[in-house]
Amino acid sequence: MIYSLQSVGRFFQQRREQVQALKGVTLQIRPGEQVALLGQSGAGKTTLFRLLNGTLRPTAGSLFFDGHDTVSLNGSGLRAMRRRVGTIYQQHNLVPSLTALENTLCGALGRMSLLGTLRGMLQPAKADSELALHALELVGLADKRTARADELSGGQQQRLAAARVLMQSPDVILADEPTASLDPELAETMTSLLAGLARDSRKTLIMAVHKVDLATRYFARVVGLRAGGVAFDVPQSEVQGDLLNNLYARDGKSPGDRDGDYSQYKFRCAR
Amino acid sequence: MTFRGILSAVAGFALLVFCWRFAEIHPGVLLRPATAAALWSFVRRLFPPDLAPEFLRTVMRAAAQTMATALAGTLLSLTIALPLGVLATGTLWNRGVLVAAGDRFGVGWMASRLARTILGFLRAVPDLLWALLFVAAVGLGSLAGTLALAVAYSGVLGRVYADVFEHVDTQPLEALQSTGATRMQIFLRGVWPQALPHLMAYTLYSFECCVRAAAVLGFVGAGGIGYEISISMRLFEYGQVLTLLLVFLVLLTLTDAASRYLRDRFVSRATSARETRAEGSSSRWLLTSKSRRLVGWTAVLSFTVASFALAGFAPETLLQAGIAGRLSGFVRRMFPLDLSWAFVSSLGTALLQTIAISLIGTLIGMAFAVVLAVPATSTLTFVRSDSPGKHGVTDRALRWLRFWSARLVLNILRSIPELVWVLICILAVGIGPFAGTIALGLHTAGVLGKLYAETMEEVPHRPVEALRSLGASPMQVLLWAIWPQARPLLSSYTVLRWETNLRASTILGLVGGGGLGQVIYNNVQLGFYPRLTTLILIIYALVLASDWIGERLRLHVA
Repeated sequence: MIYSLQSVGRFFQQRREQVQALKGVTLQIRPGEQVALLGQSGAGKTTLFRLLNGTLRPTAGSLFFDGHDTVSLNGSGLRAMRRRVGTIYQQHNLVPSLTALENTLCGALGRMSLLGTLRGMLQPAKADSELALHALELVGLADKRTARADELSGGQQQRLAAARVLMQSPDVILADEPTASLDPELAETMTSLLAGLARDSRKTLIMAVHKVDLATRYFARVVGLRAGGVAFDVPQSEVQGDLLNNLYARDGKSPGDRDGDYSQYKFRCAR
Repeated sequence: MTFRGILSAVAGFALLVFCWRFAEIHPGVLLRPATAAALWSFVRRLFPPDLAPEFLRTVMRAAAQTMATALAGTLLSLTIALPLGVLATGTLWNRGVLVAAGDRFGVGWMASRLARTILGFLRAVPDLLWALLFVAAVGLGSLAGTLALAVAYSGVLGRVYADVFEHVDTQPLEALQSTGATRMQIFLRGVWPQALPHLMAYTLYSFECCVRAAAVLGFVGAGGIGYEISISMRLFEYGQVLTLLLVFLVLLTLTDAASRYLRDRFVSRATSARETRAEGSSSRWLLTSKSRRLVGWTAVLSFTVASFALAGFAPETLLQAGIAGRLSGFVRRMFPLDLSWAFVSSLGTALLQTIAISLIGTLIGMAFAVVLAVPATSTLTFVRSDSPGKHGVTDRALRWLRFWSARLVLNILRSIPELVWVLICILAVGIGPFAGTIALGLHTAGVLGKLYAETMEEVPHRPVEALRSLGASPMQVLLWAIWPQARPLLSSYTVLRWETNLRASTILGLVGGGGLGQVIYNNVQLGFYPRLTTLILIIYALVLASDWIGERLRLHVA
C-alpha cells in the first residue's frame, strides 16, 4: 500500500468554532493505482490532498505513507516523503516572478544540494535544464520558457504546474482539480496527459475532477467525498446515477469554503 | 556576461574602492587586541546601571524634558505645516477640477511652487543641524530643541498633508463647486473631512519620530536625555549611560503603545464618525459624556501648557530675553554666505567622505541585515505546528531561541540612535569616518533587518507551500520562493535607507564620525556663521541629488 488511511479526521480552528473538514476517512491506495476524486466544493478534497502530500497532519486517525506513519517522521524523513509526492494545486502555486523554465526547475529542488541550488539560480546544471525543457515540451510550453509565470494565461499556468511535477518525477501525483480553469478541450488533454503518464511509468495518480465523464473515462477507481467523509469508493463501472445524485445533492451544509480553510493557515507557525 | 554587465561591475568595484579609501576603512584596527580590550572595558563598565537616587532624579527630569520637547515640537510643526501644506496642494491652486483653465499658471501656481520648495528645504536639512543652528541662536537648552523639531518636522508633515489633500475623492468637490461654493468652503466642507483621519494618523506617527529625535538632539546641547548621555559618555560614567539608554527605550515603548492606542481610538472613530454621532444623540449618557469631554479637554490643555513650559517656553525667556530679536540677529550674521574659493575647495574631501560613509555604511548594514533577517523570519525558522512529522522539544526550543535572539539583536541595533553608536565606535577605532561608517552600518542593520524579515514573512504563501511540499529545504524555499517574490520590495527599501543614511552621514561628524558634520561642528565652534550657510546649501543640494538618484534606482530595481 502506498497510502493507508485509518479513520482520518481533520478540523480547523476558525476563530472560536471548530470546522470539521474531514472525518472518519478510511482509504487504501495501492502503488500504481489511478483514482479519481469526486465531490462538491467544500467536500474536503483540498484538505485530503494537503494531508496526502505531507503539508498537514491529521487531527484524528493515522496516515501511513509507504509503511511510514507520517506523524512520526523526522525532518529529513518528511522531506524524503514529500520528494516522492508531487502536487498540482488548484491555484497553481507558481512563483510569479520566476520564468517558466525556472519554475519547472523548482521541481528538482528536493534532489539538489544547497550548492547546486545556489548554482541553479545563475546557471542550472545542463542535465537539469534539459530535463526541464523536456517537461515543458511535454505540456506544450517550450516556446514560453523565458516568460515570467505571472505573464502566462490561466491555462498555461496550469500546464506549467504540471511541468513542475513532471520535473520532480515523483512516485505519486496528486492533482487538485487541475482542469477547473481550462476549457473542455484542454481539460481533456490535461487529464489524458496525466493519466497516460501515470500508466506508462506506473505512478500512482490521485486526481480531483469536476466532471463525472472525465472520471469514468480515465480512471479505474472513483472515490466520492461528501461533507468530509467517503460517500462511495467503487470501480469505474459501478458509478451510476443515484450514487452521483446523492453525492451532489444540495443540503446546504458544507464545512466551510476552501479559501477560508486556507487563509487561516497562512502564517500560523509553531512558535 | 554582456558588455554592459561587465561595465557596471567594473564601475561598481571602482566606486567601492573609492569609498573604501575615503571612508578610511581599516578592518585591521578591529582585529587589534587593544580594540577588543577597549570594547570589553566599556561593556564591563556599563554594568551595573547607575541607580543612585539623585542621578535618577536627573534622569527623570531629562526624560520629562524630552517628552515635553517632542510634544511641543510636534504641536508647533503642526501649526507651521498646515498652512504650508494647504498652499502646496496642487489640486487646490493650479490643476484639477477646481481650477479654471486660465488660472493654471497664475498667483496660485507660484504660491504652490514656493510652498513646495520651502517644505523641501525644511525637510532636506537634518534635524540635528537645525538643532545646532538654534542652539547657536538662542542658547543651550530644550527651547532650541523644540524649535528645531518644529522646523524640521513641519517639512515632513507639510509634504504629507499636501499629498493627503491631493488624493481625496474629487467627486464631492465637483458637487460642492456646482452649488457655487467658494474655494475656501470647498476645502473646509469637501477636502478637510475626507483628509482628517489620515492627517491624524500621520501626525501621530510624526510624534513618535519626534520622541526619537528629541532624545538625540541633546547631543548638540538641546537638552533632554541625549544631553545627559553625551555628558555621561564624556565623564566615562558608562553605568549612567546604560540607565539613560534603558529609560530612552522605555520612553520609546510607551510612546509606541500610546500612539497605537490613540490611533485605534481616534482615527477609526473619525472614519466611522457618522455612526458614533447617531449613537451619541440617542444615548442617555449624553450629559456625562459632555462633562467627561470637558474634563478631557482641560487635561489636554493643561498638559500642553505644562509641556511648553518644560520645553523652555517660559514667558520670561520669550519676552524679556527677546527670542525674536536673537533669532533675527543670528540670521543676519549668517549672511552674506561665504563662497570664497579657499573655503569651498577645502570642502571636497569632507563631501566625498560623507558620500563614502553613506554608501559603505549602507552596504555593511545590508550584509548584517541579511544574516540576521533569515533566522528572524518566522515562516523560515519555525515549522508549522500542524505539519506532519515529529516536533522534538529540543528542536522546537532551539528554533525559538534562534528566532528571538535574532529579533533581540535587531531591536537593540535599531533602537540605539546612530549618534550613540558613533560614540561607542569611537571607543574602539578612534575619531574619524571609520567610526561613523561602522555606526551607520550597525544602526542600518537593525532597521533593514526588521524590514527584510517582515517583508519575507508577508510574501504570498502559496508558492512557498508548493515548494515545501515537493521536498525543498528551508534554505531552498528562501532562495527559490521567498527571495524572487520579495526582491523588488527589499531593493527599494534598501535604496530608501541609503537616502536616509546620506542625510544622516552629514551629521555624524558632529560627535566625531567624520564627513561634513566635522566641518560644520568646527565652524559653529569658531562662530563662522557665513560658512555655515554655505554648508547648509551644500547639504540641500546633496539631498536633492540623492532624491533624484534614489528615485531612478528604485524605478530600476522595482
